Amino acid sequence: MYSSVVRLQNTFGFFTTVAFAVAAIIAASDLLAPRTPSVGVLKTTNVQVVRGRPHYYSSKKEEYAIIKFSLDADLSTLFTWNTKQLFVYVTAEWPSAGGHGSGQNATNQAVIWDSIITSPSADHLANLGPVAMKKLRRSAEGKSIDPNRGKLSLKNQRPKYQITHPTGKLAEQDNVVLRLHYNVQPWVGLLTWNQDVEFWKWKTLRNNLSKKFVLPAIKKKEEKKKKAGASS
Amino acid sequence: MAEQILDQARDLFEGQIDFEGQKLVELLVNVALTLVGAIAFFAGYFLQDIKLAVYLGLIGTAAVFVLAVPPWPFFNRNPVKWLPVGGAAPPANLVVDDKMFR
Repeated sequence: MYSSVVRLQNTFGFFTTVAFAVAAIIAASDLLAPRTPSVGVLKTTNVQVVRGRPHYYSSKKEEYAIIKFSLDADLSTLFTWNTKQLFVYVTAEWPSAGGHGSGQNATNQAVIWDSIITSPSADHLANLGPVAMKKLRRSAEGKSIDPNRGKLSLKNQRPKYQITHPTGKLAEQDNVVLRLHYNVQPWVGLLTWNQDVEFWKWKTLRNNLSKKFVLPAIKKKEEKKKKAGASS
Repeated sequence: MAEQILDQARDLFEGQIDFEGQKLVELLVNVALTLVGAIAFFAGYFLQDIKLAVYLGLIGTAAVFVLAVPPWPFFNRNPVKWLPVGGAAPPANLVVDDKMFR
């Protein structure tokens, strides 16, 4: 520590140690915050299966399911001072037609809707236009945590993604369920996925499955056309 | 003239402090930075504000740099007292490398 440069180096060196230790303690402090997310309602409201092409120039026709749903969930306890953002997504799941040993997946799972919910401390990172950004920032002005951010209430929500299967067949599939998932992305610490096992103060997400439902048959557009042609 | 100025500039840049000062600055840096880390964490945790914790930590660290890096006068309160240059004649029976020193 005899010269300025040595003092600069030593001070910076110890600063990195302190910063790392504080970050580790912040990550560990997450364990002290109880996580009790709950789902009120998760149900389908309107299910359709249509035929379509994967892209404009494709000659292949596939079946796509468009699943509208309602969701009521309270994930506000997932927001603590160390939460950067919450990723919430809904998947549709159904058992494989072939079952075991058929070389297919045992369970098919496809995301139909997702959303990133930023914590007020991460609002500046949200991928939004200037107007929406202003609105988002104003919604939590002066607050470091906003519990309202975790309250989801969707009525008859249109899916973001229409789903299909590698075989291209999806109509009349039964035993389909919707499942709500989340993952918590902290500022420092580990990314935590949906809590499938209870871990001290972190409770599992209960009631996050919808009732089983059946995908309907394809809408018969061609028959309608034929009928229309016959009547004219 | 130019040499003198260069010497002064070098002294200022090197910023040497005495042994007691080195002991003091080491203690000061360790204690102050630990304290800054603790304050940053607890303020952030109890006010549930991560940005506050980050800024407190950075500002505190900057203050510690200001305190520790420049050769402040209180790090130079115990200068080393060197023997005078070319003072007394060497003792008559001084032995160096098995040879009698004249």
